Amino acid sequence: MNSSLFPNIWRFLGLILGQCLLLKQAVQSLGSAYFNIILYPMFILLLPLQLAAPYLVLLGFAVGISVDMFYQTPGVHASAGAFAGFIRGLVFTAFAPKGGFNAKDPIFAPHYVSWQTFLSVSGVFFFLYLFWYYSVEAFTFVYFTSIVLKTLSSWGITMIFVILYAALFNPKQ
Amino acid sequence: MGRLLQLLLRNGGFVTLVFVELFCFMLIVNYNTSQAVIWANTTDIFVGRLMERRQRVSDYFSLQERADSLAVMVDSLQERLASARYVQVPVRDMFYRVTYDSITGTDSLRRKYNRPLYEYVSARVIENSVTSVNNWLLLNRGKNDHIEPHTAVVTPNGIVGIVRHVSDNFSIVMSVLHSQTRITASVAGTGAFGSLEWEGGSPEEMVLRNIPKHFKERITPGARVVTSGYSLMFPRDIPVGIVEGYANADDENPHFLVVRVKLSQSMSDITDVSVVRNPFSPEIDSLKSKIKQ
Repeated sequence: MNSSLFPNIWRFLGLILGQCLLLKQAVQSLGSAYFNIILYPMFILLLPLQLAAPYLVLLGFAVGISVDMFYQTPGVHASAGAFAGFIRGLVFTAFAPKGGFNAKDPIFAPHYVSWQTFLSVSGVFFFLYLFWYYSVEAFTFVYFTSIVLKTLSSWGITMIFVILYAALFNPKQ
Repeated sequence: MGRLLQLLLRNGGFVTLVFVELFCFMLIVNYNTSQAVIWANTTDIFVGRLMERRQRVSDYFSLQERADSLAVMVDSLQERLASARYVQVPVRDMFYRVTYDSITGTDSLRRKYNRPLYEYVSARVIENSVTSVNNWLLLNRGKNDHIEPHTAVVTPNGIVGIVRHVSDNFSIVMSVLHSQTRITASVAGTGAFGSLEWEGGSPEEMVLRNIPKHFKERITPGARVVTSGYSLMFPRDIPVGIVEGYANADDENPHFLVVRVKLSQSMSDITDVSVVRNPFSPEIDSLKSKIKQ
């Protein structure tokens, strides 16, 4: 557990900074309200496999509220982050082979599981995250169509960055 | 308790999520403009519906109060009506003041000298009978409510009886369906008057006796029967019922007519009544006692 502490702290800081300094600026400079690139839930996805659900929820909230500081939307990302922490376990259970993922694998990364599994799991994970995020942002299901469209467009672009991130950094711990 | 704790631990993620989401929700609606507006509108709609439902519930529970206040209002209207029908007494050498007559809708000089004013006290029937030869009612009002024996009991639909005995909080009313009932009533529009009696049998029918014979042609079926005002107890023009059939010579007293009257107030279905007080009756009684001596 101790050996995985620092990589996770670096990921936490790195993803928040990357999200708020690079991706936020990038999306803003494109000036589009119809999509967003949200990579920081990667932090939640790459938390140690053995971590219990309540910690995941709390860490999801922590990373979300940190991002909220930069986006000036207190609570919106935090809510989605906590939700992502909760559903991570459910998605893993749904996609895990019989008997669960290898207990020796510290984290869920392409280094340990196949790229195919990684993409399926992260695809569902990010889709659910984005759907929750846009629902909370709209705060009403009156604009359900718009929520779904934004979720789909953001999901497509975000997944490119997810693949880039996994390929470039190839996280192992 | 142990099982509950286990349940919490097993679903710890979910429980944590619920708490964290509640906290986030609070943050969102407090610090985000657009979400706060949506939330405020939603709560407005919801609270509005809630208030509406609450109002309906409290309306239901206040029905009794409202019914009571309506009874009081009916009393006051009957009071004014009865007083307005009473013979108005012009007074000489008085300083006249124009007052607005709310019943006729005109300015009246005379109304100021109307007297006496009947007083109506609303009461509820808590016991009633219609099946015996002599029927009685019990009211939930008594001496404490200024009710005295020998006062009339009426409803807006008709007459009910006469108060006979009074305790502190209750009073016993001799129903009109009583073998000793004698109430002076007249057939509206004819001037024919007689004594209203009950012969037993149907609780919906009484007879009007002792009508002078020359009214025979003028009493037609369906004519209204009202109180005559010749009694101290009943104010004038309180409805009694309608004439059934034609007037015939009375078997017991062939010099007078008798006619059947269908009561307008069903005696078997009475809940709210008014007791009519005449504040002048002691004075009139003491005056009348002089001719009895």
